[in-house]
Amino acid sequence: MKLLVITQSRNRAGRTVQVKKEVNADWIRVGRAASSEVLLADPRVALNQGLILDRDGPVYTEGEVGNLTSTTKRAVRSVRLKPGSAVDVGPYKITVLDTPEGYSGAITVELVRPREDVAPEFMSRANKLTLRSLHLPKRLVALALFAVVAVVFFLLPSGRVLDLPWKGEQSIAMASDRFWNPGPVMLAHQPIELKCEACHEVAFVQVRDESCLECHQKIGHHVGQDMKPAALFQGTRCAECHRDHKGVKTTHRDDDRFCVDCHKDVRGRANGAQSQNVSDFEKDHPAFRLSIPVDKGVKRVRMGSGPIEESSNLVFPHEVHLDPKGVRHPDKDKVKLDCAACHKPDASKRTFEPVTMQKHCQECHRLEFEPAVTKRQVPHGLPGDAITVVNEFYANLALNGVKDSFEKAFGVPGEGLLRRVGQPSEAQRQNALALAGKKASQVSEELFEVRVCRACHAILKEDGPDGKPVWNVAKIRANNIWMPHARFDHKSHSQSKCADCHDVAKSKRSQDVAMPKIESCRECHAGSQPSEKKITSNCLLCHGFHEQQHPWDPGFKPKGKTRVAQGASGDR
Amino acid sequence: MPLAVHKKQYAVRELPVRHQSILEYAHFRWLKGALLLSVACAAVYIWHDPPLKPYGGTWLGYTLGTIGALLILWLVWFGVRKRRYATRVGTAQGWLSAHVYLGTALLVVATLHTGFELGWNVHTLAYVLMCLVVFSGFYGVYIYATVPHLMTANRGEDTLDGMLMRVADLDKEIREKALSLPDQILKVVNSSLDGTRIGGSFLRVYSGRDPSCPTAKAVRELPEIGKRLSGDIAKLNHEVYTLLLQKNEILLRARRDIRYKARLDLWLYFHVPLSIALLASLSVHVVSVFLYW
Repeated sequence: MKLLVITQSRNRAGRTVQVKKEVNADWIRVGRAASSEVLLADPRVALNQGLILDRDGPVYTEGEVGNLTSTTKRAVRSVRLKPGSAVDVGPYKITVLDTPEGYSGAITVELVRPREDVAPEFMSRANKLTLRSLHLPKRLVALALFAVVAVVFFLLPSGRVLDLPWKGEQSIAMASDRFWNPGPVMLAHQPIELKCEACHEVAFVQVRDESCLECHQKIGHHVGQDMKPAALFQGTRCAECHRDHKGVKTTHRDDDRFCVDCHKDVRGRANGAQSQNVSDFEKDHPAFRLSIPVDKGVKRVRMGSGPIEESSNLVFPHEVHLDPKGVRHPDKDKVKLDCAACHKPDASKRTFEPVTMQKHCQECHRLEFEPAVTKRQVPHGLPGDAITVVNEFYANLALNGVKDSFEKAFGVPGEGLLRRVGQPSEAQRQNALALAGKKASQVSEELFEVRVCRACHAILKEDGPDGKPVWNVAKIRANNIWMPHARFDHKSHSQSKCADCHDVAKSKRSQDVAMPKIESCRECHAGSQPSEKKITSNCLLCHGFHEQQHPWDPGFKPKGKTRVAQGASGDR
Repeated sequence: MPLAVHKKQYAVRELPVRHQSILEYAHFRWLKGALLLSVACAAVYIWHDPPLKPYGGTWLGYTLGTIGALLILWLVWFGVRKRRYATRVGTAQGWLSAHVYLGTALLVVATLHTGFELGWNVHTLAYVLMCLVVFSGFYGVYIYATVPHLMTANRGEDTLDGMLMRVADLDKEIREKALSLPDQILKVVNSSLDGTRIGGSFLRVYSGRDPSCPTAKAVRELPEIGKRLSGDIAKLNHEVYTLLLQKNEILLRARRDIRYKARLDLWLYFHVPLSIALLASLSVHVVSVFLYW
């Protein structure tokens, strides 16, 4: 198809200018694209607006061939270009001329609505098309958010600690540093939770030990300061093990890691260490060490290397007292005793009240010295007091005794001196005194050496300065704390029988030690790793870290008024 | 020497022939980097044995916190870098790829830094803001991965300006032709000419719709009114109707186009201000933690 295309426009002077072009193609493209044979250079025209095809003469068609996005995607149109007809293509008008000789057709193309000519009304109603043109705030919101966060979460709260103009301004309700609290403090610290500076005393300085020690005044070192291992802890802060704001339950880790780090080779770490290496209760915990009182102080003896005896200077066979048939009683037939008869739990129920003569023994072991005459007993305590009571009793009997008791006591006929008729002579008095003194000495000797004291005590007889014998009761070394470095709670073991751990039923001597061996504990307690049918037990289950004897810092003196005393709502 | 510098400066970069998503930039270089960082942090976190429980104050906590804070500063710096057209430090595509992947890795680093300890405090505020920024960024990636295709398909060979101009042009043509039509029709047509608007409010821009569009109304009503016409008037009415159909169709596409553009933009109205708020809360977090050390 050969088509004559005349592009018609007007120059500045208003004259019509025509540009003629001969197009020879099967398909003649009409559109904005530079490759179009009929170029309609205007944004209002599609890139490939339409085609002129030869269908027994030229036909203008739109939206058919590969032009899916033209304006007329829906309104497909096809117009036969008969001479004299016209087609509107966007702002252009295509007029069909009479077909010249040698051509299939001829058209003029004219821009009838120039761009400048387009009505501005719609464009003025289409000027806010983007979020930016709507002036949606982005920077303003960003700055506002920045300012709010900075003021609410920093500037106001920091007035608590920094020297800012509004420091200490209580009236600013929002000025609370609780926004800075990273997590709940442990229960014991909750009274001071809102008083940050109780612990965080100096800004930008880590919590100092002094802050802790203000309340924890009696907390001890791990080992005695005089011992070299103390140097191991030189410069170690409380907070290195104790981290607060990590939940209400605890501030430290309840496992063996810290302990075992050193104690797996404790002798290598510290020359003065007396304990043995240990890494786990189940695997390699050494045998228990017992504290046994000796002449001077306390001796520490490790179990497992030969028999251990204590020297309490008491005579007490457990076997006799725990005889299943019972023991003799001065008033009743026989009495059956159990452990609890003597070992009474103390108020804490964790351990026991000390066994005393008065509470636990004297009901049977009465200190009667003249049972034929009286139920009186000598006082339990100093030997001298007992002898005095005996002396006074017989002296009184010699002076005032009625016939019956006089004769029973002294074994001779008679009665008290003052009960006789008339004034006693000097010889009579000396006689009565000698009788009483002789009897008293005899009874005392019997009391200490044969009958009463001797039953339970070791007795030492010496000659006194006046030639009379003096008896001394050996000092009692009763042991109440056998394992001072272990925490053992009898209450939490109350489901076990005493005999499970303390085998005393066959003990004939008071020297026998009935403390349980580590194997007994291991029947129920495993180490730090779970073990079948056993309780997982780490170091801290039985041991504490801080010794209680030594204040952490010997130079530390607590302030008169501690901060805790002011309470949670106290003034900051 | 100056010649060499000159050459280097203007060396032509090899650009991929095929379109390459920023996600697969340089054979997923930054995906690999981010994965490596995340896995390394997670491995150390699992191996780490803290004094009580994992949190930001252990040596690992401080390390993760430092990495996280530096990452945040670097990620925010993207806002500056993307405006520096002249810089030769990496390509904008590479920066964006790294921005996306390292921003994702930040989620891992910061979460491990918290030790999963969250509460009602400024520290968690910083964490939450960070999460919001990252997730709004994810949304942005999704938008940038889907919307441009739709936008291209919708625009076709046109531009928004071209579409608007054609509407204005159609308006002129319609105005000329409609003058000869009866009053009832002219009224409907004029309401389209005088009342049709595009954009103008957030709702209309973002929804891409105008339920009260007079052109759509005219297109609905004209056939009914036109039934009563005959002869040349009917023919003219049909021509006007065809033009109105074209106008309506262009309007639909133009509105869809501004809607797509708004979707491309809107997430940044959250992403950017939240980033700035994050910067503030991050600073407060760091300072307050050391103030009450």
